[in-house]
Amino acid sequence: MLSLLKIEWLKIRKYPAFWWMLGIVLLTYPGINGIFLNVYQQFTTRKDAAGSFAKMVLGNPFSFPETWHTVAYFSSFFVLLPAILVIMLITNEYGFRTHRQNIIDGWSRSEFITGKLMDVLIISGVVTVVYIATSIGYGIYADADNMNRWMEQLQYIPLFFLQTFAQLSIAFFLGFLVKKAFIALGIFLFYYLIVENILVAYLKYKKIPITRFLPFEISDNMLVAPAFVGNFGKDAKAGYETALALVPQQAVLTIVLTTLIWLACFRLHNRKDLS
Amino acid sequence: MDTVLSLEAISKSYGRIQALKEVSFTVPRGSVYGILGPNGSGKTTLMSIVLDVLKANTGNYNWFGKGNHPSERKKIGSLLETPNFYHYLSATDNLNITSAISGRGTPEDISRVLELVKLSERKNSRFSTYSLGMKQRLAIAAALLGNPEVLLLDEPTNGLDPVGIMEIRDLIKSLAQKGITIIIASHLLDEVEKVCTHVAILKKGTLLTSGHVNEVLAHEDIVELAAANMEALKQCIADMGGYSALKEEHQRLQIHYPAGTANMEAINGYCFRNGITLQLLLNKKRSLESKFFELTND
Repeated sequence: MLSLLKIEWLKIRKYPAFWWMLGIVLLTYPGINGIFLNVYQQFTTRKDAAGSFAKMVLGNPFSFPETWHTVAYFSSFFVLLPAILVIMLITNEYGFRTHRQNIIDGWSRSEFITGKLMDVLIISGVVTVVYIATSIGYGIYADADNMNRWMEQLQYIPLFFLQTFAQLSIAFFLGFLVKKAFIALGIFLFYYLIVENILVAYLKYKKIPITRFLPFEISDNMLVAPAFVGNFGKDAKAGYETALALVPQQAVLTIVLTTLIWLACFRLHNRKDLS
Repeated sequence: MDTVLSLEAISKSYGRIQALKEVSFTVPRGSVYGILGPNGSGKTTLMSIVLDVLKANTGNYNWFGKGNHPSERKKIGSLLETPNFYHYLSATDNLNITSAISGRGTPEDISRVLELVKLSERKNSRFSTYSLGMKQRLAIAAALLGNPEVLLLDEPTNGLDPVGIMEIRDLIKSLAQKGITIIIASHLLDEVEKVCTHVAILKKGTLLTSGHVNEVLAHEDIVELAAANMEALKQCIADMGGYSALKEEHQRLQIHYPAGTANMEAINGYCFRNGITLQLLLNKKRSLESKFFELTND
């Protein structure tokens, strides 16, 4: 196991795209949350009635412990950044034909996929660390008085990791099957940004309650919209409570789907010709 | 005899195209085993199967008498088709990965093999900046890493210049002398003939013949004759009899005999007694090339 990890690190550490991705994620996560924090502050510092109303309804979504939830929610929209890297890492192996060379040099087919599984785990881990740092940073910045409540709602850390890992696994699976980086990326973006959103909107319109079982929605529904969404009236409150109650179920479904994806990768890779 | 690799009835098809049909042979330890065949005969498919890159439909292969576990593959230095490396890494970084996966070689050994294939000066340049010949040299260096006891080389001189080809040929010879088993696929028959102890000849996925070079080639003796009056010579030899075939080629007469039965002295004496003075009398060993063409031509 450790030697697989070491070899994957040899492949990644001098790969420019890895460091680019890390740099962009390091900028994006604090950046996007910063924008929302800024909007929130502009709203709530207004002296008029609207300002105090906003403050009352929204609370302070970036203070502890709400920051764990809010930052996870906003950051999760940008999973496509690490997804690009994950797709590159597998399609590169096809492009360079090193997926054959690794086997020729003495890896088993399963070891090759295990190495890639570790890549996706590592990248999910790195992204999660950036998320944690961002949450802590804004938590302190938004309301230093609430810092003593930092250990509440810590479940958002494993949930964020699981969601990232699950969605990156889908990206990996696409790269693994399609083999060409740009086609895989195209399919990923098209489905992630357009198809599933249209499907969700259509199914909700038709009142067919299966949207939470769609590939990305399964894990998206683990990180429901921040708590203040529940403060916009009775219906919103009920909706928020229902969504929150479903989180454990969505987490189990996410684990099941992700396990199936990786089992399929192992099974397919053990049987196919590496051409 | 100690066997490095044995193949048992390996078959492989791509859809309706049968790439290999029940190919079986064994590679003895210490041999230089040439796998020959025209383009598309199944050489690379065969090598890909024994390296687990392709899956055979039926049949088995066995490395060192121990089966086909990945750990057996680690002992083999291989070059299959094109050189496959990470484009964004240098030669040294790429060989670090080869070494980490296979367990062959040390950092010092990486320097040694890069020196051997004359890539030392460019060892820190990215693979993507290499010329075709340099990429091929790096692939050879990867195969040689850690002094493996078996080398499997698919067209090792692809993309090399004439000097490079000669260097690799000399390298293969010197490795063979050290007792390393070398399995080599090539369509350059001249290459193979100069280094191989054993050959297997494939055509359209069928194994035509295999075994020791002398056995494969020495099916018959050929005696080549020429005289001033070719017509008279032809008549004279036709009357002599005792041969298996008679052919005329480029103003020379070729008499084919079953292996080991040609008697040069008797032929010379017979012609002389019949009033023909020979300009040329040659016991011609079959070249691999002529055998190859004979076997692979329809």
